[in-house]
Formats: sequence, C-alpha cells, structure tokens
Amino acid sequence: MSVNGLQDRNGKVEEYLQLLRLLASELECAMRAIARNSLPEFEESVRRQETLSTRVTDLAGELKVTSQRGTSNLLPHTNDALTQQIRVASATLQALNRQYGSLLQHSSRSVALMVSLFESFKGNLQEGTGSRSKYQTWSCQV
Amino acid sequence: MRVNPNLVPDILAAIQQSQATLNTALQQVSTGKSVSVPSDNPAASADMVQNTIESGDVDQYTQNVSGVLTMVQTADSALGSVVSALTQAISLGTEGASGTNSAANQQALAQQVQGILSSVVSQANLSYEGAYLFGGTASSTVPYTASAASPSGYTYNGNDGVNSVAVGDQLSVQVNLPGSQIFSNSSNSVLGSLSTLVSALQSGNAASIESATTGVNTALSYVSQQRVFYGNAESQLNSQETYLQQETVSLSTQQTNLVGVNMATAATTLSQAETANSAALAAAAKVLPTTLLNYLSTPN
Amino acid sequence: MAGLNTSLTIGIQALEASQAALNATSNNIANANTPGYTREVPQFSENAETLSGGEVVGGGVSLGGLQSVRDELLNLQIQQQTSQQSSADTQSASLQQIQTNFASTGADIASTLTAFSTSLAQLSASPSNTAVQQGVLESGQNLAESFNSTANGLTAAQSDADSQVTQTVAQVNTLTQQIAQLNGQLSQLPQSGQNGGTIQDQRDELVQQLSTLTGISVSQSSDGETITTANGSPLVMGSQSFTLQTTTGSDGMQHVLDSAGNDITSSIQGGQLGGAIQMRDQVIPGFLNQLNTLASQFATAFNAAQAKGFDSNGNVGGNFFSVSSGTAGAAASLSVAITDPSQIAISSDGSAGSNGNVANLSAALTGSLPSGQSVSNGYANMVFQVGSDASNASSESTAIGQNLLQLTNQQSSISGVSIDEETTNLIRFQTAYEAAARIVSTIQQLSTVTLDMGSSQSY
Repeated sequence: MSVNGLQDRNGKVEEYLQLLRLLASELECAMRAIARNSLPEFEESVRRQETLSTRVTDLAGELKVTSQRGTSNLLPHTNDALTQQIRVASATLQALNRQYGSLLQHSSRSVALMVSLFESFKGNLQEGTGSRSKYQTWSCQV
Repeated sequence: MRVNPNLVPDILAAIQQSQATLNTALQQVSTGKSVSVPSDNPAASADMVQNTIESGDVDQYTQNVSGVLTMVQTADSALGSVVSALTQAISLGTEGASGTNSAANQQALAQQVQGILSSVVSQANLSYEGAYLFGGTASSTVPYTASAASPSGYTYNGNDGVNSVAVGDQLSVQVNLPGSQIFSNSSNSVLGSLSTLVSALQSGNAASIESATTGVNTALSYVSQQRVFYGNAESQLNSQETYLQQETVSLSTQQTNLVGVNMATAATTLSQAETANSAALAAAAKVLPTTLLNYLSTPN
Repeated sequence: MAGLNTSLTIGIQALEASQAALNATSNNIANANTPGYTREVPQFSENAETLSGGEVVGGGVSLGGLQSVRDELLNLQIQQQTSQQSSADTQSASLQQIQTNFASTGADIASTLTAFSTSLAQLSASPSNTAVQQGVLESGQNLAESFNSTANGLTAAQSDADSQVTQTVAQVNTLTQQIAQLNGQLSQLPQSGQNGGTIQDQRDELVQQLSTLTGISVSQSSDGETITTANGSPLVMGSQSFTLQTTTGSDGMQHVLDSAGNDITSSIQGGQLGGAIQMRDQVIPGFLNQLNTLASQFATAFNAAQAKGFDSNGNVGGNFFSVSSGTAGAAASLSVAITDPSQIAISSDGSAGSNGNVANLSAALTGSLPSGQSVSNGYANMVFQVGSDASNASSESTAIGQNLLQLTNQQSSISGVSIDEETTNLIRFQTAYEAAARIVSTIQQLSTVTLDMGSSQSY
C-alpha cells in the first residue's frame, strides 16, 4: 500500500472510532427520549442513528478483518493506542445496544397494547354478546 | 388522585447514571484496568484466560531455553575437549609408528594415550546440575566405569534414552545423545579405538600402531559428526529465544488491549464524568427540596 | 358524569398484540393468541370474568372514560414491569456475587491453571529436580482447591436464593392478608364514601409492593378484586387471602405450594421470588453442571496421562487427582490423590532421568476433552457466560427501569388530544421502534468484526 493509501486508511480508522462513539451517544439520547415519552426527540435520534449506522457499516466493510471469538487464534497484536480506543468504544456500544434493544422490546409491547386499546375505542365496536362472550369486553357502568 | 412529581424519577435516574459512570472512571484511573469482573467485558475476560496461561508458559519456556542452552553448550564443549584429546592421540600414534622410538619411549607414549583415554572417559562422565550428560536417560548413573571384561576397559552403565524439553507450545527440542552412541558405538567406538592404540603402542609393532592411529582418526571424524547434533540444538534454541521474546511483547500488548486502560483516555473520561455528575446534581438542585438533594449528593 | 365507575376486566394477554393483531382492525380488545409471548411476561389467567350483561359501549364513549381505562392499563403494565425489574434485579445481584468467583484474583481457576501448566513446563526441563517435582504437586493442589472454592461459591449463591424463597413467600403472605383485609373494608363502604380513596390508595400501594415480590395478575369484578400469581394460583379474592407455603422438596430446596397444596415452584415468574427461583433452579445448576463436567473430564484425562508413564519409584503412574465417579459434585470434591512428588509419572520408559511422559501430562491441559474443548477453553467459555449473564441482567434491569419511567410519564401526562391524534402518535412510536430495531440488529452484526487497525503496519 502506498503512503497515500496508508494515510487514507488511517483517516478512515479515526472516522470509524468517531462513529462508534457518536452512535453510543445517540443510543443514550434515544433511551432518554423514550423514558421521557418524548416522541419527536426519539424520532430525530432514530434518523441520526440510521445515518450513522449506514456509514459505520460501510466503513467496517472497507476496513475489516473478520475474527471469531473463542478460536485459539488470539486478537491481532498491534500496539496502537487507536486500536485500543476502538476496542473500548466497540465494547461500550455493544453494551448500550443490548440495553437499547431490551428497552425497545419492552416499550413496543406497551405501545402495542395502547394502540389496541385506542383502536377499539375509535367507535367501531360492533360485536355482540352471546357467542362472542368468550372475549373480554369493555363496560362502563354509569 | 395520584400525585406524580414526574420529574423526580428522571432526575434520580440521571444522577444514578452519572454516579455509576463516575465510579467506573475512578476505578479505571486508579487500577489501570478497564476490566475487574467478567461482566465489565465478557469477551475480553474470556480471552484473558488464554492470555494468562500463555504468558505463564512463555515465561517458563524462556527459562527452559536458557537452561537447556547452557546444558547443550556444556555437552558440546565436552565433545570439543574430546576432539582435542583425540587429535593429540593421533599425533602420539603417528610418532609411535615412526619406528624411531626406544622401547622406553614407546611405553611412555602408550601411557600418555592411556591418560588420554581416561580424560575422554571423564568427559563422557560429565554431569550438569546433578545429571550425567551422556548416560541417556539414566542420568543418575555414572555412564562409564572401568571393567576388565570390556575390550575398551570400560563398560557403559547408561541407556539409549533421549529427552526432549518443551520450549514452546508446539516445540520441544531433543537435548542429549546417549553415550552409547557417541563413545562406545559398536561400529565406531571412540573408547575402543583409544584402547586399541594403547595396546598397539605397548606392543611396539609399527604396522598395528599405524592401523590403530587410523582407527582413532576415524573416531575423531565420527565424534565431530556427532557434535553437529549439539550445534543444531543450539541454533534451534537461539531462534526459539528470539521468537519467545517477540511472543512476550505480543502477549503483553494483547493484555493491555483486552483489559488495560489507556491512561490519557482514562484521565479525560474521568474529568468528563465529574463534570456530568456535577451538572446532574446542579440541575436537580433547581427542582428538588434541599433535604432530598443533600441525601442524593452524599457519596455512597 | 360524577361517579363514573369504570369496571374493567382486562387480561393483559388479551391485549398483547401480535403483528397480525395490530394490522387487523380489531373491534374490541380481543384475546389474541400471542404466539411471540415470552417467558418473562406473566401468563395471565384466561378465565377472568366477563361482566354480567356484557354491555358494549359504542362510539359515544367519553374521553374521560377512555382516560381511566388507559390509566388502569398503565397501572397494570407498571405492575408487570415492576415485577420483571425486580426479578432482573434479584438475578443481577446473585450474578454479581457469583462472578467474583471467576474474576482474576490469583486464587481463581485461570490463575491456578496457569501455575499448573507452568510447573509442568518447568518439569520438562528439570525432570529429576525434587523441588520442581514438589512444585507440580503443590500447583496441582492449588488447582483442585480453586475448583473447590468456585463450586462452593456457586452453591452458596444457590443457598442464598433458597433462603430468599422462604423469606419472600412469608412477605407475600403478609401482604396478601393485608390486601384482603383492605378489600373487606372497601366492600363495606358506600361507593362514594370519602374514606374509600385513602384505603384504595393504601391497597394499591400494597399491590404494587406485592408485584415486586412476584408476578401477579389483577382483575376487578363486581365482587371485588382478584389477585392471582402470574399463572393463576389464587392469592386474594375479595376479602379472602390464600396462603402460599414452602416445603422442602426431594432436591433439598424450598418448593412453593399454593393454598391447595399444589407445587407451583416452576411456574412462578417475576418478582424477587421468580428471580430467586430462576437463579436457584436454572441458572446456577447450569453453571454447576458446566464446572463439574470440566473438573471431571480434566481430572480423568490427566489421570489417564499419568497412567501412560512411570513415576520415580519405577511404578506405572497412578491417579494424580481424586475425582468422583459421576459428574455431580466433581468440582467441590476434586483433590490431589498422590502425596509424594515421586509419584508423578515423569518417565516414559521407567528410567530415572527420562522426562518422556511430561509431554503427555502437558497435553492433558492443551488437548481436547470429551466435551470437545481443552480445559482452558472450557473455563474461558464459563467466564464469558457468567460475565454475559451478569451484564445482561444488569442492562435488562436498567432497560426496564427506563420503560417504567416512560410508563410513569405517560400516566402523569394529561392527554387533551383526541383519540385519533393519540392513536397517530402511538403508531408513529411503533414505526420509529421498527426502524430502531433494525439499527440494533445492524450494530449487533458489527460485534463480529475485528478491525486490524495497525496504522504502523507496513503493506
């Protein structure tokens, strides 16, 4: 690889690190938005996440060496501070991602329930009793 | 009607989070480690198991190389002495075959060669750190002892076993040749050839002296050939030493990558965490009763 | 509209919408079959009462009526999430305790395994040196002891979880009695009674506490409040409470029985009780089994390597380790069988100075055990699993905490908008969630990529 090629690669490596950190920060932002039940903030964050994750995936493709954990072949031995920072940033991002994924699961269930509730209250309730009394029904006693 | 000061849970959560981050940053700066328990980084912790074992092994292999190298060099040097002794015996034999010696001189020559035979036997009986170098794997038994029954005057008490020493995960190096191969090989016996020369010199027969001297010459070539084994072993050990030095550095670097902390980064992170924590407490101060805030800002 | 009394019969399961149910314009809150239903969500009882009369209200339902239904639904979800968080916290605390046995302390298996491996490498170079031989014996003993203490750490955590089962059941019984009593009081008050609100708040608070102890299903009917465990065992019915009992099972652990004497231990989910039972009966036994298998297979392999050689007394190598015949308890009982260094099978041919069998001994550490992995890889995998489980339990608890915050915020926000607008907002959330889920998956895939950065590399 030429000197220029090496410089390009270094630039991409630094960008990769930046992206990992930005994504992590964006996930934290999204989780706060969900906790605050703040829809516009959440949507905005997800849009930013989409942009970031597209770019980081492209970069990963350009830079990658695939490795599997658990083989006797150990991680590449390079004494680069940049490499270490990437490992740290990557571990942080993965931990946040697990938490984020779990929050999404829990919260989507909740939202799905509310959607069902609201849609049933939109006035299209047509079922009668009797044969369909197996189903739960709403009732208001005024 | 449920009263819900809905700011409080948010604030509590934010403060807890910033305190947790602060604690982590403090610990990393003070220990130099980013991983203390497996949950800090499960994959790194798992890889560290292997790293720890390999690092221990590499350290030991390095010591093994060093110890074995000395042993091999000692053996090689002994054979070097044997080569010198045989060279001397050849010149004595040549002189003896010249026919220009008196009977007394002839006997003196015989005695000198006898002396050389003894010195070769003591080289063959050399020990290193309590173990005989040329007894095969019978390392606590003297390889050669005097025996009237044996043609060479000496009998071999060792065996033909060889040991290989582990100097790498995939590498062990054979470290000895048995005396029976070097000194008393049935087709090329060093001791035998010297003993034959002694007898020939004692007899004074020029033809037999000449023949015996040729025999010693053949033995010398043979010993030099055997020595190559030790030379090769030394080369192998030296290469391995270099490799192990590199491995030591690699493993150490890997360890830092897995569980270590870049101190400059850690210091920055700590500073940021402290700022964030102060900010969270300050924001809380604006909305929470003072007593509650005092409770929250008391360090655990 | 004062005094609007909304009676609800809601099974959360009924509202749990699968994707198909979402798309359908369902007319009522139907009881979807919920194929994707995960374990940690409590299984609500199917035969919650339908209301007598089964009156259906049409499009003229007031917003106020929707609000109170919505609030009640949020309440129920908060209860459910509280149970789940409590379970996650319980498991997290237990796992934090457990993982200290796997941290690098010098006495952990990784450290002692290292020392044992090193001692054998040293023996290779100095096979006749008695001090070195003694070193192998001692490091073997340390290795056995670290297996012992790791196993003991796990059983101690299991024992703690067992105690927690007993304590929590007692707490559950205290609460259900109190709740039943309050229900009794409530049923005797006129519906517009002033004290009703306070007692109701008290009762709700107790129900909330109960939900931290175990997953519950709460339903209201004209006969009062019914509380069951997540899988339907009765706890409170109106003013009557039902006691849970504990009894020692054949496994030596405390089993939980419902008031009819049925063993409901394995069906309890959520809350401290569910979390403790999960740890005690599933997670910890899993780890113990892994550890015991590792100990048993390793000791057996090492003993087999001993038998291939001869010791310094000229005898065929005997067992180095003493290990139980089965897997159970293998790690806790592992010990060194030989008492003298001269019993180490160093020689391959019986001669005093041979080191030929040391290679076989070392190979027992690097070679594959019947499980398919070497002892070090097997242990490394355990470290990974324990660490992952601990990390996941902790982040699960945090995630649920964030969801709880969201639910609490939803509860306190006054929704003055129309039903249509709120529905639109909810659907916007769902859409955003779907996009977010794709990003989670993208990020996950990045974790298998190692970037060989080496800016100092030459090409």
